[in-house]
Amino acid sequence: MIVLRRVGLAIGLPVVLVAIWWFASAGSTEFYFPPLSKIVGAFPATWFGERMVDDVLPSLLRLAIGYLAALVAGIGLGIPIGANQTLRAVVEPLFEFLRAIPPPVLVPILMLVAGIGATMKILVIISGCVWPVLLNTVAGVRAVDEVLTDTCASYRIRGGSRVWHLMIRSASPQIVAGARQALSIGIILMVISEMFAASSGIGFTVIQFKDGFRIPQMWTGVILLGLLGVLLASLFRLAERHVLGWYHGIRAAEKER
Amino acid sequence: MLTVKELRKTYDTKGRRVEAIGDVSFSVADGEFVCVVGPSGCGKTTLLRCIAGLLPPTSGEVHVDGRRVTGPPDGLAVVFQEYGRSLFPWLRVFDNVELPLRAAGMPKAERIELVTEALDSVSLGEAHGAYPWQLSGGMQQRVAIARAIAYQPRVLLMDEPFAAVDAQTRADLEDLIRSVWRRLGVTLVFVTHDIDESVYLGQRVIMLSSPPTSVVEDLAVDLPAERDQLATRSEPRFTELRGRVYAQIQKAKQES
Repeated sequence: MIVLRRVGLAIGLPVVLVAIWWFASAGSTEFYFPPLSKIVGAFPATWFGERMVDDVLPSLLRLAIGYLAALVAGIGLGIPIGANQTLRAVVEPLFEFLRAIPPPVLVPILMLVAGIGATMKILVIISGCVWPVLLNTVAGVRAVDEVLTDTCASYRIRGGSRVWHLMIRSASPQIVAGARQALSIGIILMVISEMFAASSGIGFTVIQFKDGFRIPQMWTGVILLGLLGVLLASLFRLAERHVLGWYHGIRAAEKER
Repeated sequence: MLTVKELRKTYDTKGRRVEAIGDVSFSVADGEFVCVVGPSGCGKTTLLRCIAGLLPPTSGEVHVDGRRVTGPPDGLAVVFQEYGRSLFPWLRVFDNVELPLRAAGMPKAERIELVTEALDSVSLGEAHGAYPWQLSGGMQQRVAIARAIAYQPRVLLMDEPFAAVDAQTRADLEDLIRSVWRRLGVTLVFVTHDIDESVYLGQRVIMLSSPPTSVVEDLAVDLPAERDQLATRSEPRFTELRGRVYAQIQKAKQES
């Protein structure tokens, strides 16, 4: 019963909006806003064929590589920076500058450096995703509990064990928050990176449909991106429940008291 | 053997020099149980952190087993007052107790045996799989004690470990610590602000003054080794010792 209610709440509004769209656009003869029925009709033929292999999967693969690389780099750099005050003083002004640059303007520069292949697109994704992860990791590592730090020192928990059990796990709520932000940035940059000088990808395909005036197909691309966003967010939530189970447990226990 | 020699600790905060510990010297023999008691704010925790090698003293020396302390010494464990913050909330009880052993590279079979034994000895044999935050305060502190036991230290430092638990739990934990000490033969330094507790637990009470802290008196507790919450606390000798410590602490407070 509770599950049913929760599912109902989650999909209620989307169902209503889709219904409104469906009926409001039903008799549409406007070229740029075709009926939703026509868009939905075009969806399977557009994406469930060659394009799945040629465009969707390459896009997702680049997103996965860029996103994971940004996680590794953000956490890997964030730990020493968070733990070391001098290092922080040196790099923080630079970070303020770098993260203020919108990653799309890096596309032309990265093209000069890395060409127009997959490397460039992955670098664009990394350049946007790394900041929320890095800055949140720094904040999380800075806030590691002193008593826990003392505990590690007196029980001689050192090296990798200390980095994992003290720093990364302590900072994990913040790291996960940064990773969540990075995921939506990553999806945006995946599309944007494919809009310049690309030959495959979801973003590339959508632009092609637009340029070819295949408007219903263009709309299917927009819907596909939305659906991918929902899917990735759900996968993220699953991973989060696994990684931060202890954290949500504490919060629930505190609420009960 | 643990010796503290002419230990001094000053802090510089905002251009102001605070002398936390003026001059503290004492020694603790192997296997001895010593309580350190003093008025609140007398630098008990600072002293303990210096002994544990977590805080460098401004001057003076600490030796553990003849070796000068410059960092956390080998074979020394600490039980902190803030049990909620000294346990890893993302590790289950068993893993919390096991982690220091794992970090020391101990083989798995040995680890399991030691951790199981330690948890049994604090009556937490049923709680292996729980997370610390699912337990009561007293149980959490027992996990921290089990971690110290499993670590098999030669010296155990305890920093007001029972200050944050209720009176009933506190009495149980006091008896638990007595039995652990007698069983393991560990050298134990127990810091507290509770005068009754300091007399009930140890073989000696070291009384500290207000800052700049020094040792006011080093009093031997000549109560029988078998102690009982009711019987011991109602003995005339207990009342006498308690009165003695109380008077000294009061005097130390007024002098500052």
